[in-house]
Amino acid sequence: MKTNVPATLRIALLLGLLGATSVVAFEAGGFAYTKRVETNALSEPRPLAPAAGKFGFRRKLKVEQVQGSWLRVSDGPVAGWVFAGNLAEAMPPEIKGTDGLPLTASQTTASAAARPLTPEAEAYATRRNLGQARNDLNWLQYQCKTFTAADVDAYLKAQKKGEFQ
Amino acid sequence: MKTKLLLVVAASLAGAIFISVEGGPFDALKNALSSGSTPAPSQSQTDTFNAVGQMFKGAAGIGPEEEKKIGDSVALEIVGKYGGLIHDAVVLRRVNLVGRALARYSARPELNWRFGVLNSDTVNAFSAPDGWVFITRGLLATATNDDALAGILGHEIAHVTGRHALKIVEGTTFMSGLAGLAAARSNDVRTVNAQLQQFDLGIGKIASTILENGYSQPVEYEADHFGHDLAKVTGYAGGGLRSVLVLLRQRGGDPKKTFSTHPPLNDRIKRLPDEPATSPQ
Repeated sequence: MKTNVPATLRIALLLGLLGATSVVAFEAGGFAYTKRVETNALSEPRPLAPAAGKFGFRRKLKVEQVQGSWLRVSDGPVAGWVFAGNLAEAMPPEIKGTDGLPLTASQTTASAAARPLTPEAEAYATRRNLGQARNDLNWLQYQCKTFTAADVDAYLKAQKKGEFQ
Repeated sequence: MKTKLLLVVAASLAGAIFISVEGGPFDALKNALSSGSTPAPSQSQTDTFNAVGQMFKGAAGIGPEEEKKIGDSVALEIVGKYGGLIHDAVVLRRVNLVGRALARYSARPELNWRFGVLNSDTVNAFSAPDGWVFITRGLLATATNDDALAGILGHEIAHVTGRHALKIVEGTTFMSGLAGLAAARSNDVRTVNAQLQQFDLGIGKIASTILENGYSQPVEYEADHFGHDLAKVTGYAGGGLRSVLVLLRQRGGDPKKTFSTHPPLNDRIKRLPDEPATSPQ
């Protein structure tokens, strides 16, 4: 059934709902969700602690304990510590392809390897006379490939950011 | 003793609600995202949309492969319009380390995040689907510390995780162009051309929103909010973005060259919490 609520008001209400979920409180007894293909459950609340187990993608975890920026979480028999920034308050959405079928975790999140521009974008650059922009983006892709996850780890550690705060 | 822990929840979690949902307030927001000011297609273009689009109408959301095609093409438009990229490895390293530190704790940590610097003295930043983020040389010059840079990049990351650009075309006949391109083996030249035309029109619609009209103000404020939270959870000062906006307001200058595709500086400053601009050493 259609209502006569003005579009602007509907937008404001909707964004209000979105905003309300933007900052959340994790607390013992609540739940958190994984957002990576694999999330390590650490044996202690520190970044370099040994892993006690692993959680898969889109898993609902019970929050057992909160200690600073770290949460002790469990999923059945697997339990351990996870930095809060590595978890989400709500389950990540299930992504569907153009065929309407849900994509697997590996299809949705494990595709971050450096790659050239897609053939469709290459053809688009040709049609739109964006050859120089294409060269620039290919250069950027190449440069970004040289920044590894280890570089980011070292930066976080040196700057005391993320898990290293 | 604190028993609660504040944490960012990326815009994509809530934003994904829009996927495959038709009608009601969702359509209203989807229309607002595009600012409604994209030039209307010609009659022949409309006919093409209708004829070819019906083949695939009803197909579901935009998956990772489609997002790559869209993201790469929109990135081409951004780089093409804003003077190309600066080829400076030192500058690029700083921007990518801060950007990827933030991205690690975003709602989409495993996207292929890439951060580039546009060779333009205007003050602006942009993003495209699939993890492309760009900052102009002019804006980077105002980000004298990493807290400020993190605030700026956090805002753009929020646009990507919130799928704001994708929502402009999600559920439209543009999707048929994508589906057609994925299987462009047709011997029917007219069909292939129609699919390419649809694809180009869809990219043009996203690019005009990002580069000319801007997202709607509520979407921009949402990105400010999520970007602020992302910077904080990563360990940067919560006042980084606000400090940049205050500096730009103090400097004055040509509004057409300062965040021209974003809401007025005063309105953004008012909505951000007044927090320290730098993190403790």
